[in-house]
Amino acid sequence: MNNPLLILRNFIFYTFIWITFAVIHILFLLNAAGLGFSDAVLDSLVFNVIYLWLGLGLWYPVKYLSIDRNSSFRFAAQHILSAIVSSSLWIGMSLFILFFIFSPDSHLKSFIFQTLAWRILIGIILYVIYTSFYYLYIFYSSYNDKLLKESELRTFAREAELKSLKYQINPHFLFNSLNSISSLTLIDPAKAREMTIKLSEYMRATLSESEKQFHKLSEEIKNLRLYLDIEKVRFGNKFEYVEEFEDSCTGIMIPPMILQPLLENAIKYGVYESLEKVTIKLNCKKENNYLKITVENNYDEDSLSPSGEKIGIRNIKNRLSLIYRQDNLLVVENKRGIFKVNIFIPLGES
Amino acid sequence: MSKISAIIIDDEPLAREIIKAYLKSIPQVEVTSECSNGFEGIKAINEFKPDLIFLDVQMPKISGFEMLELLDELPVVIFTTAYDQYALKAFETNAADYLLKPFSEERLKEAISKASLFLSDKKKNSETISKVFEQMDKQQEFLERVVVKNGPKIHIIPSDKILYIEAQDDYVMLYTTEGRFLKQKTMKFFEDHLNPEEFIRIHRSYLVRISEIKQIELFEKDSYRLQVSGGKFLPVSKSGYSRLKEIFQ
Repeated sequence: MNNPLLILRNFIFYTFIWITFAVIHILFLLNAAGLGFSDAVLDSLVFNVIYLWLGLGLWYPVKYLSIDRNSSFRFAAQHILSAIVSSSLWIGMSLFILFFIFSPDSHLKSFIFQTLAWRILIGIILYVIYTSFYYLYIFYSSYNDKLLKESELRTFAREAELKSLKYQINPHFLFNSLNSISSLTLIDPAKAREMTIKLSEYMRATLSESEKQFHKLSEEIKNLRLYLDIEKVRFGNKFEYVEEFEDSCTGIMIPPMILQPLLENAIKYGVYESLEKVTIKLNCKKENNYLKITVENNYDEDSLSPSGEKIGIRNIKNRLSLIYRQDNLLVVENKRGIFKVNIFIPLGES
Repeated sequence: MSKISAIIIDDEPLAREIIKAYLKSIPQVEVTSECSNGFEGIKAINEFKPDLIFLDVQMPKISGFEMLELLDELPVVIFTTAYDQYALKAFETNAADYLLKPFSEERLKEAISKASLFLSDKKKNSETISKVFEQMDKQQEFLERVVVKNGPKIHIIPSDKILYIEAQDDYVMLYTTEGRFLKQKTMKFFEDHLNPEEFIRIHRSYLVRISEIKQIELFEKDSYRLQVSGGKFLPVSKSGYSRLKEIFQ
């Protein structure tokens, strides 16, 4: 860290303070001490100009005498010593320059010697003012630094967390789809081609969309349809998919791949575990200041009901609270064989 | 060489189709039945007594492994799976053959020729499969459910319905809210795979759900017993008593 007073803008301001101080000094000597104009100017200029430079040097004792790293006794002793040294230096240099360069008259000489005690006192007061200012500056800027670092760290942690929660293609889904394609090449080549194209489109969208921070609800829905089309080939007529949404919702921006895991769960715990037909419903509407998205599916109550929260759902919940800095944006309802997940996207953000 | 009878068990129709299509060029294997879940699988195996089954590991309701556990006599098994790290590890360490979906016709032929070795050596077959079970058990964390067979009926018991477990020779008796069921597994298995925060071993032969314990009392000199919600008394061993003391203190 460098002396803040040496920054040009600060130095101009600093000089200005000293000029003011010097003028007050002159006025005081003229009126209260009854000195002549030239004597008053000489006294003021020599003492004040020297302290202007000396004060800059006080940065070093402050910089190297840290409160944290020294015992309080040592700290106080060193500062008392440096207060005495700096004040003596100031007065000694001033006297030297005044007497040997300007050779003042006896009136000024005797005035200076009469006020020597006052000058030492002022020297010590100046020392205290300077060091306090420097310490405050150091404290404030390191405090700011710390705040900055902390907030950087927080952003970093948040990003890392978001990254770890990012949606990834389920390998089980991928390999089973490839197996279906492999099978279709033998029994229905046209369908195999169609499924290859859909799977590619789906994967391409998943790869590119999940890089974005937000995308339109309509994009998300488009991808869901692709996904469900592929699953339909695998599971035949074991499920149906129903969509209901207000047209005004489709343009709303939402975090990508936030619904995908819900559909996957519906397939995994609803369709997959059931021997009966399952209906998956997607509903999007505006409610109060939120976009409310509901995904629901019926499931076989005899099969092991989803105990606790599934990882996929917990990940979305965490993602939402990280993105919108608000909790409870995902609510699960599970009753009478219907599993329902409600997601609330705050409107007017993003 | 006599014909090999086979059953395909997989919940995805297309996955069954490709096996059937490949098998067309292997005339010595004859598919006698196709099943889309484990229940159908058990029925078909008991009915047709196939030499060989193609078994998908992940299926609705009960998994391929759970289905095998319910069989009295094991056919030769070629496992099929899309992606299951645990199962793969179990297969690999025990040299059981498996097919990773999607697979080629050549790979299927290879699996069948390996399987024919097991066909003539039933003992080796069941040994290999039980080793796979053992490994799967080891890798498994907490049990979510237990599948049992009661006569012709199959029950899926979620672990949170188990009240207490009693050892009976090579079997254990599971006492649940819906009656009692015999399962061929060891006490040690349940002790290892039920959440220790929910279950406690009170005796060599008893594992009890902690929340079911109503009271613990001195029974005879130096021996204790406890009462479960249903009213029944179960014996408590010395080490069982010190475990109980630890959690109820």
